[in-house]
Amino acid sequence: MTGISKRDVLKIMGGAALAGPFVNMQSAFAARDKELNILCWEGYNSAQVLDPFRSEKSANVKAESLTNDPTMINRLRAGETKVWDLINVNNPWARKIMYPEGLIKPLPKDEFEPFFEKMLPQFKAPYRWAMSDDGKELLGMAQRFGPYSFVVNTDKVSRKTAEEQGWEIFNDPSLKGKYGILESDDWNVFNIFLIAGLNPFKEHDAAELEKFTETAKRIFGGAKLVGDIAAMNQALVSGEIDLHMTGGTYSVSPARADGHPNLRAVTPLKGPIDGKGGVAWIEITSTVNNPNLSPLATEFLKHVQDPAVAHTVAFAEGTFNPVAQMGNKACFDLFTKEELDAIQYDSLEEEMSRSAEYDIVPDYDKALEILTAAKRAKG
Amino acid sequence: MADVTLNRSAAVEAARGDAQGKAANPASPRKLSRGMLCSLPVLLTLLLGFVAPLATVAAYAFATPRSFDVFRSFTLENFETIFDPANTVWTSFVWSLALATATVVLLAIIAYPIAWGLARVFGRWAGFVSVLFVFPLFVSENVRLYGWSLFFIKNGVLDGALKLIGMAGPDVLYTPGATLFGMVYVYLPFMLFPMVLGLAMVPKELVEAARDLGASRLMIWREIELPLAMPGIMIGMLLTFVLAVGAVAESKILGGQSVIVATHDIEIAFTYAQNWPLGSALALILTVIVGVLSLVAISRLDLDRILGRR
Repeated sequence: MTGISKRDVLKIMGGAALAGPFVNMQSAFAARDKELNILCWEGYNSAQVLDPFRSEKSANVKAESLTNDPTMINRLRAGETKVWDLINVNNPWARKIMYPEGLIKPLPKDEFEPFFEKMLPQFKAPYRWAMSDDGKELLGMAQRFGPYSFVVNTDKVSRKTAEEQGWEIFNDPSLKGKYGILESDDWNVFNIFLIAGLNPFKEHDAAELEKFTETAKRIFGGAKLVGDIAAMNQALVSGEIDLHMTGGTYSVSPARADGHPNLRAVTPLKGPIDGKGGVAWIEITSTVNNPNLSPLATEFLKHVQDPAVAHTVAFAEGTFNPVAQMGNKACFDLFTKEELDAIQYDSLEEEMSRSAEYDIVPDYDKALEILTAAKRAKG
Repeated sequence: MADVTLNRSAAVEAARGDAQGKAANPASPRKLSRGMLCSLPVLLTLLLGFVAPLATVAAYAFATPRSFDVFRSFTLENFETIFDPANTVWTSFVWSLALATATVVLLAIIAYPIAWGLARVFGRWAGFVSVLFVFPLFVSENVRLYGWSLFFIKNGVLDGALKLIGMAGPDVLYTPGATLFGMVYVYLPFMLFPMVLGLAMVPKELVEAARDLGASRLMIWREIELPLAMPGIMIGMLLTFVLAVGAVAESKILGGQSVIVATHDIEIAFTYAQNWPLGSALALILTVIVGVLSLVAISRLDLDRILGRR
């Protein structure tokens, strides 16, 4: 026989239980100068962006990409601040949620504020979304951004018609079954409010939520499909749909770059957000409040400010987007005519001026519940 | 016959000797048996890889909504939300269970003749045909489903080809029917191979004897083949059902979310809704439903017979 008794097994288990915390402690305080973990939207996780940094620093860089902000924030809330060094999410989260909840830590202003001077004019320091609410702390760096309202096939719906009608176009009964909805439910909450003629970024009363409910049921009920970016572009190209709700440069640029310039992101001329009809996003990348933050986190943030790297970020695999660093001529000159056309640079400035910036919906939980029920009712 | 008798005697002697040995060693009850020792790696793996995550999900289901107070709070609020008559989440469960049931029924009908062919007809080609059914499993499910999407889409492979002969393709994409098609396609191998195993267990001599005694083909199938192959068929059905009830990619890619399935609702709770406790409660309910159905099915199976121990 082996001679191992139950007592021996218990001893081993007890030993392991005692040793466990020390093993964790060792890993927690181990030097992390050659290790970097990034939680981000896709693009920053691509080899094109990461490989040069890996080689330069001889570092082990891991990046996980997700396609919605709430999931990333929840990962930190669930205790993963110990895991990640950088988090890349849309603009309101750093200032309004993550910093107040202690999930991120500020950047050294003297080191990072000068980078904003080389960005496009609207990003000049102190850039509101990169700062804490009291304006004292720098919470992250801006890079990719873009207008994000809806996308049309201009062969079927002209840009002029789409811009002039704005969100009202989705109330047109003749378009029932001819539009899709991008599966991006936080944005869909904004856009159902906008189609209902309501400003999403304020508290809503019962009558407004009733209107939201009716609109959500009607819009989801009339959609040909709900799907991801690939499904939307595929359906637009094939002619299954003429337009889709929730989308912009971010979603349509791959199709435009692929030879479909007739597909175009549209920003309404007017709307219910203080006259603005569009919504735009700006990514802010922050250092996580990791008790053992990798020193490479700030190094990486500096690395992506480089004009060539910023251009790579703009055209990393997946989606193509404008970057704040295009304000630097050295960066802008790297963009070819085709690339500028893919990201609709011709109308970028006016579309951004017609867009409100992505913000937190105060009654998001209730609105999402209604929206999810509307999706279920479709079946 | 003599050999068999001898072997049996030797086995009986060995068993007797082992029993005597155990009696002579009073310290042995304190030792781990060899069987227990061998099963330790499996037990530990199950404990860490299966029981621990399941226990965490279960604990989250009773945590305060929209919090991470797992193991620190206890509330039934998440279940109250789910069972609230105003909540329509039950429709997602109905869709999941209905689509999974339909998948199982369709696959039983589709896979049986193929399995019969693999077990009885294809002979030396059976291996090659099996590889053809296994090969798609090496390609990501999403890629395969997008492939079907391109096949059915307007101006796609089917529609484009039919237009060449002056016809139009059917408008089937983004419907519950397309979701069902995707599930039947994806889960075919999981029904097929247990079914082949079941049919391979039917002794040919028995079928021949029944035929010699004048049984019709239908009677042979009903009275001999089907009952004897049933354990394999049941395993295929069970496996397919459990997988299909958790399917989500088919309803998203081919179905265009024309219906929302239970796993999609769980996904929404964990992502956009930032409500892990609610997602866990939904997951727990689905696990219980599938678990109960599986246990009922397993209780009707004779696993020892299927595994050839008797």
